[in-house]
Amino acid sequence: MKVTLATHGGQAAAINLRLPPRVVDAEALPQEAARELARLVEAAKTTQAVKEDGPGQARDALSYTITVEDVDRSTVLTQSDTTMSPAFAALLTWLERRLAME
Amino acid sequence: MTTTRRCLNCITPPYILKKLLESGEEEIRQAALNTLISTAQLRGERAVRASFAGSAAAPANGRRTIFDCRNSRFLPQATLVRSESDPPVADASANRAFDAIGATRDFYKKVFDRNSIDNRGMRLQGYVHFATNYNNAFWDGQQLVFGDGDGRVFTDFTGSCEVIAHEFAHGVTEHTAGLDYHNQSGALNESLSDVFGVMVKQWTLHQRAAEADWLIGADVFTPNIKADALRSMKAPGTAYDNKLLGKDPQPDHMSHYVKLPDTEQGDMGGVHVNSGIPNRAFYLTAMGIGGYAWDAPGHIWYESLKASSPQTQFQEFADTTYLKAGQLYGAGSAEQQAVLAAWNEVGIRVSGVPGGAEALRVPVLAGRGDGLVHDGTPIPALIRQIEALAAQVNALAEGLSVLTPKP
Ligand SMILES: [Zn+2]
Repeated sequence: MKVTLATHGGQAAAINLRLPPRVVDAEALPQEAARELARLVEAAKTTQAVKEDGPGQARDALSYTITVEDVDRSTVLTQSDTTMSPAFAALLTWLERRLAME
Repeated sequence: MTTTRRCLNCITPPYILKKLLESGEEEIRQAALNTLISTAQLRGERAVRASFAGSAAAPANGRRTIFDCRNSRFLPQATLVRSESDPPVADASANRAFDAIGATRDFYKKVFDRNSIDNRGMRLQGYVHFATNYNNAFWDGQQLVFGDGDGRVFTDFTGSCEVIAHEFAHGVTEHTAGLDYHNQSGALNESLSDVFGVMVKQWTLHQRAAEADWLIGADVFTPNIKADALRSMKAPGTAYDNKLLGKDPQPDHMSHYVKLPDTEQGDMGGVHVNSGIPNRAFYLTAMGIGGYAWDAPGHIWYESLKASSPQTQFQEFADTTYLKAGQLYGAGSAEQQAVLAAWNEVGIRVSGVPGGAEALRVPVLAGRGDGLVHDGTPIPALIRQIEALAAQVNALAEGLSVLTPKP
């Protein structure tokens, strides 16, 4: 499983437009971390954003696109700062922490 | 009577009156006073007097509250750290947000006679330490939210006063024009936040247009990043150019307008990219008029913001600023000429201006030659302001006579 994180919008939107998405490859993770990632991905996939209409009235909020690529299929989840579900937030926080370690 | 009052508030420009009546020059004070007194219909009109007195003596509203998110992404989990009457606290981010939100609130009150974001004294709530290593600040539709930055590329977003004022201005735009956050209207929305954000910064520093750096987010980068700021209003496209961040993609002219998808991935049609065009138009206007950006240029933009609607595009906004400059400072005034020249320079020709090219030959960018200057404003310009005011007072009187119930 490969998980890709792309960030859009915000005060630094013009910079975010150019930054390449960042990738976490579950195959390269220690077993426990890979299991944790799989659990967070499953939870995020099955819970909806608090609102489904994008950032709405928010201005300069960030949106995040998390793409999960499995052997046979890929899933794209997009949620924003003001509308994300707790499960999406948990996955995002985990990914950002992991990516910051690199 | 309620109808009458609402109508009065939308057509009286209290900042002009106040400025003129407070003038140190006897000639100007008298002219302003005469203008009011000579309008016979106004004499004894209680609603008018109440409106003026009210605007001058309104209590300082817009109480501030700062919350600490403690790295959570969910605002209801934040804890209160500082309220309006509290002394400074140990958290520097909380104090910076508190101070900058206060400065912005005071700017709108003193310069535009606007009472907080909604002009009704709305409470001002700031949230600091949002999420972990969060490289951003935003307006969530009701409150202002700030991240600490990752410490590697970005630092604490409460460090740039104009960024805080930028978010505050999003609230003001929502309560006035309500510009749609997509494509041109969205880029205009973004630009207005930069325009008012930069004015707050210059007002705080008491800088003239020519002395200011015109940068947005000058302090959001860590010292190891080679970048001036997030955006430059003076020279869009030049705020940064390095390997890590790439080159600032903001256009400074309509011919370089960047077409991006109207999606979250495309920054809603590049709202933070194409704002460079109207940003530069404001910068050029301020330089053309001279003095402080929050004086004539700020008032022209503020009145244009209030006269705009969710669908307003660049062209319509340019036309509105030209119209408002004429209404506030007189048709053909140096202020109006500066507005015309500024839009022309970014590739937007104001609609319906006869002999647009000839009109632009007036050397608006040159210094004032008349020598008569009062408080940074030349006296002929002040007299034009008084004339514009007189026209508005007449319109007001007409409005009143229509609204006053006939016996
Ligand atoms: Zn913005």
